[in-house]
Amino acid sequence: MDQTAEAFREYWQETLDALARCPACPEIDVLPLRSTAFATLYGVRLTSLGPYRLFGYLSIPTGTGPFPAIYYPPKYQSVLEIIPQGTANLIRSRYITFALAGRGQRNADTPYAAMFPGLLTEGIDSAESYIFRGIVADSVRGLQFLLTRRELDTAGVVVMGNDLALVTAALTAGATHVVAAPALFYKAAELAPRTQAYPLEEINDYVRMFPRRAEAVRRTLAYYDLRAFAPRITAATLLMAGAPGTLLDALTLRPLVTALQGPLMVHDSEQSLYKDGLYTEQWMAAQCGITDVQGILPEHWRESRDREGHRLG
Amino acid sequence: MPTAASADYRSSVRKPDDFDAFWDDVLRQASAIPLEAEVIPDPLRTSEDVEVFQVFYSSIEHVRVAAWYCRPVRRAERAPAVMLLPGYQMDPPIPKEWARKGYIALSVAPRGKLRSNRQFNPGYPNLLTYNIVDRHTYAYRGFYVDTWRGIDFLLSRPEVEPTRLGVTGSSQGGGLTITTAAMRREVRAAAAGAPYLCGFMDAVELTHTYPYEEVNDYLRLHPESRPEVEKTVAYFDGINFADRISCPIIVNIGLQDNVCPPETGYVLFDRIGAKDKHLYPYDGHGHDAGRFRHSAIVDRFFAHHLLGREMSG
Repeated sequence: MDQTAEAFREYWQETLDALARCPACPEIDVLPLRSTAFATLYGVRLTSLGPYRLFGYLSIPTGTGPFPAIYYPPKYQSVLEIIPQGTANLIRSRYITFALAGRGQRNADTPYAAMFPGLLTEGIDSAESYIFRGIVADSVRGLQFLLTRRELDTAGVVVMGNDLALVTAALTAGATHVVAAPALFYKAAELAPRTQAYPLEEINDYVRMFPRRAEAVRRTLAYYDLRAFAPRITAATLLMAGAPGTLLDALTLRPLVTALQGPLMVHDSEQSLYKDGLYTEQWMAAQCGITDVQGILPEHWRESRDREGHRLG
Repeated sequence: MPTAASADYRSSVRKPDDFDAFWDDVLRQASAIPLEAEVIPDPLRTSEDVEVFQVFYSSIEHVRVAAWYCRPVRRAERAPAVMLLPGYQMDPPIPKEWARKGYIALSVAPRGKLRSNRQFNPGYPNLLTYNIVDRHTYAYRGFYVDTWRGIDFLLSRPEVEPTRLGVTGSSQGGGLTITTAAMRREVRAAAAGAPYLCGFMDAVELTHTYPYEEVNDYLRLHPESRPEVEKTVAYFDGINFADRISCPIIVNIGLQDNVCPPETGYVLFDRIGAKDKHLYPYDGHGHDAGRFRHSAIVDRFFAHHLLGREMSG
């Protein structure tokens, strides 16, 4: 992180100012195929920085509400899911969910279609043109849209995802909780050479191919480093660390942990999607005042393998 | 901990009488299509130890299928090869790590996946139910053939040892491993994780998570189509392919898998025709199916069968 705090502040303030000049112009259409007795699904189109038209899936529980919400900012994959794979569909009976495709992802891939791998280094030799400046703006725009929903319980707005969850919570108000598993922007320039695994391997590929741009890459990544965003984050946060000894374990993440300003829980991965996923679901439910979490867990995670909940569908 | 899934689950899967005839006809149609393979060096992704290529070949209906192709820089004149098959939502990875283990590696993007979606793009979600009332145009008809054509591509390469071909993947990749091992006798070893596309109609009762939930969504909107849906998926059910498998095979499942119900994994394993087969059920694991612990077992398995080498473990 070698840019000054002032340069960092200016970069993001200019981005947010430019975003503010783009009206969201949302279009919302019911999607009957994915609507159930307990929730209605909508396709949402809205404008972000560029201007660039985005797409998201908004699910609203049946009933009067207000409801807590889970916002899924753009993931690092081409596909946009309604809710993450493996999440019980019944979660949509208790939470508003909103999943956003950032520019380049499916349903938001016109005119720009992102490549995976490839997106992480798209325009990375200039902070001004780096693709993630737009994607961060997209993510902020998504949260802004969610906050306009009258069904929302504003005391329970969870932003759940990778680094973008933290970045979004830092740049705009409204997120009360964050669940984040850093993968892209924590000390990226320093950690990439220590791995051969994608997505950070994209940075290694790029620097190997364009060694003279290495310094420019490092400068750009500094604007995205989670350590710089952390002092702005006051939401209660569940930080999903890698298992001890892995690249992004709690020990490595300690500077981020100490810089975050809100109540914090760090969970060391148990190398089990069941155990890590169950922990996350229970944490979110407790934070949002949902007491009957068993009813919105996947069948194979429930203490009692009843099928009661599915009569709702 | 939830009660682990029962190993004596009674599946509803039945093989259609004309199952073999259906697939023989599909294979006959596919064999009339020239492979027309392109192998394009990718200098950005190539490193000192691994050469990376982008591959394109033709499949049934003349759809161009993309793949990543990696080979170790230092290798024998002919080297063993492993084909990697992708999950439902994942973007096919560049299989550099397999090349680093000494294999030539092909990572296939069947139709609809990123880089293979110019001629066929059903979207995600939607692939699972695309034309699901007609087995002759159902999405997975071409999708399956695209993966089997990957074996043809490997056999066309002079640097590949044709008697040492392996196939592996997890989730959808696990299901495709089953169908590929069943339909291509050239496969000498297979490792399937958390197999998807096995027990379709059982799974949609056992779990209510995406992607299987796509079928429930479809049937909710089109309840009158249930008989046609059941009829179609029977031709694509991995359980109905399993008795054709004769190569050594290992299967790993998570007993708290919230995506691909472990009950279907047990049924699949029971139906596998190979004498040399082994099941690894991981209690306390979800859709990861114990990957953290199991990856070393997969490494030893392929090293034994393809490299002719015993690894300590």
